[in-house]
Amino acid sequence: MATTATLAARLRLRWRKLPLTRDQFMLLMAATNEIFLGIDIYLAHSISGTISPNEWIPIVFGPLAGAALMIAGLIALRRRQLATAIASAVLLASIVVGLLGAYFHFVRAILPNAPAFERVSVGLLVWGPPILGPLMFSLVGLLGLSAAFIEDPADSGRLRLWGERRLQLPYRKTNAYFYMVSLGSLATVMSSVLDHARTGFENPWLWLPTGVGLFATLIAAVMAAAERTGRVESMIYNLTMLTLMLVGAGGLILHIQTNLTAGGTIVGERFIRGAPFLAPLLFANMGMLGLISRLPASETRMQPSSAIDGSAQVAVSGDRSS
Amino acid sequence: MPDAPVTAPLRPARLIILILVGVVIVLGFAVVGLVIGRSTTPTATEPADALATSTNKCVVCHRRTTPGIVEQFGHSTMAGAEVICQDCHQVDSDYPGASEHEGGYVLAQPTTAKCQRCHETEVAEYALSRHGLPAYVAYAGAEGLNETLLAEYESIPEGGFNPARLRERNALFALEGEAVTEFACKACHSIGNPAADGSVGDCSKCHLRHEFSLEQARKPETCNACHIGPDHPQFEIYVESPHGIAYHTGGESWHWEAEPGTLTVNDFPAPTCSICHMSGFGTSGTTHDVGSRLSWYLFAPVSERRPAWQDNQSRMQAICLECHNRSFIDGFYQAADAATLAINDWVEESDQIVAPLQDQGLLTEASFDEPLDFVYFELWHHWGRTAKFGAWMQGPDYTQWHGAYELLSDLAELRLMADERLGAAKGGD
Repeated sequence: MATTATLAARLRLRWRKLPLTRDQFMLLMAATNEIFLGIDIYLAHSISGTISPNEWIPIVFGPLAGAALMIAGLIALRRRQLATAIASAVLLASIVVGLLGAYFHFVRAILPNAPAFERVSVGLLVWGPPILGPLMFSLVGLLGLSAAFIEDPADSGRLRLWGERRLQLPYRKTNAYFYMVSLGSLATVMSSVLDHARTGFENPWLWLPTGVGLFATLIAAVMAAAERTGRVESMIYNLTMLTLMLVGAGGLILHIQTNLTAGGTIVGERFIRGAPFLAPLLFANMGMLGLISRLPASETRMQPSSAIDGSAQVAVSGDRSS
Repeated sequence: MPDAPVTAPLRPARLIILILVGVVIVLGFAVVGLVIGRSTTPTATEPADALATSTNKCVVCHRRTTPGIVEQFGHSTMAGAEVICQDCHQVDSDYPGASEHEGGYVLAQPTTAKCQRCHETEVAEYALSRHGLPAYVAYAGAEGLNETLLAEYESIPEGGFNPARLRERNALFALEGEAVTEFACKACHSIGNPAADGSVGDCSKCHLRHEFSLEQARKPETCNACHIGPDHPQFEIYVESPHGIAYHTGGESWHWEAEPGTLTVNDFPAPTCSICHMSGFGTSGTTHDVGSRLSWYLFAPVSERRPAWQDNQSRMQAICLECHNRSFIDGFYQAADAATLAINDWVEESDQIVAPLQDQGLLTEASFDEPLDFVYFELWHHWGRTAKFGAWMQGPDYTQWHGAYELLSDLAELRLMADERLGAAKGGD
């Protein structure tokens, strides 16, 4: 037992040695996601060989939004409110871009003039543009917005808005993150299933991301709904998120292997039109977000010494106190 | 984790969120189950008619006057992608080639300029290939081309090759006349016709209207429309080859609708015409330049290497390498190169036989007006080409009996004809 306690203490020490707070990590992930989404969408929209004006919106928006969020992060060191305003605007725009994309994809995946019962079908969902894909922008926007506003006090569900304004959420921010991880995992596994349905699920490895993704959806939902979570649930949740990350990494390797020629050569066209090699990283992304959600909600970072012996704590501002 | 202070008004909000998320998750799981269930039990599904209830005025009218094309287009992927009739057919009144139609202006047959709006790369590759202007110049000659088109023609390998000979209006085409050639040469060679709007070619030669089926365009029967007959019997050679046998005995299970650019031997266990010459396969990317993987000008009387033939060769061999080893491929190329050179020698011999007749003015000025012209022409145009194509495409009967044998027979006949004419000329002296 003593060994377990020591291990737990060491792990806590590791958490506290992290250079950023949970919300800062979330914002960094949001910025990274925006950039990766832009690249991924560029590859996806390049398949037809011609990118239409509407298709350029997320391609241009993704990297710009990512860069703007990074800049906002730097500005936040000195001018917190301005940074929050920039980040909020970008993240709100991200939500809009995601919803707009989902609409554009949906109207392409339905046949408005087809016979009544053939306008929307499983076949169209599988073979048409991915309806859930653009919603990743919305999820990232929502996550980022949640992270941009400080929860004060920590784990209270009270968000500090501009000036003296406060917003009481129905849940703590931590629970809100869990909900988003749950819905994000669901969107990820649905996209994966719809994509892989084209192959008829002939490859037995495809059941792995499906199973892990569905379980991650459930366990994150349980964590979100629960007012109090025990050690077992937390451990299962952590292991599930780690497995999601491994599934993402494995998927990346398998997709790359699929796209290589028999002789192992990289051909650009095969990577654009073949298995989307960045897509499996969504699993890793959700796993990472899931684990970040487990970081302490506090807006302050502790010096290592304070974590070990509980002596006078030296609070290091997370640059969020203005 | 400390509990959040939940005030009474927030409890219903929590419940609503919980119910909403629960419903989304249940629906999501249901979709996942449905999709997996459908995909693991393959059922034949017909594409939906995307125009079934369309009120587009073209569709409404043509459903009555030409229902076949509306039916075809309604089931096409183009209609599924929201392409409408007007996108391809409707033009401004001053557009070259426009004709008035029901109060508007249309192109009865959309040009490649229209296709190019969505398929830019494909049209550019096609325009710079043998299927572009060289196909047109082969029958009509180059004299009608404006400066821009002539420059485009010259930039194409076949256009730059042997300009003195290939830019003339084809003598046989001129001899046969419009009434016949409309149904003969032009039917195939119009694949490279320049259009009034300055664009070149006709995509619908291979992508038949109005279904625009990937499977139809990929199947060898489509190439068979032109690549058949004594002068270029590629389809017949393919049928005889091991590749063609594989297609005819197992092709129905191949993945004809697979995503372009991702094809592997799992989709196509043996190649078709399009796999070798156009499809993205192995390390070779998709191309609509049908000459970009060819090493020789096989169509020419005496074949020469193409410009940058090594690059072309490596692209073609990248396809071969998906199934064959390097040693086999190298051996095959060496043997086929040797066969090409051997056939070149015979054709050059025929030139040497005819040369004294030309030098001494013993041939009439007009082409194709005496039996010797036909023998001399068929020797390379039919049998020489067929023998070379047969070697490169693995059709032994075509290299042998429809190729080399006929060539040697014509060579003997030509020699006899030339000797008789030279002898008669000498006797006359």
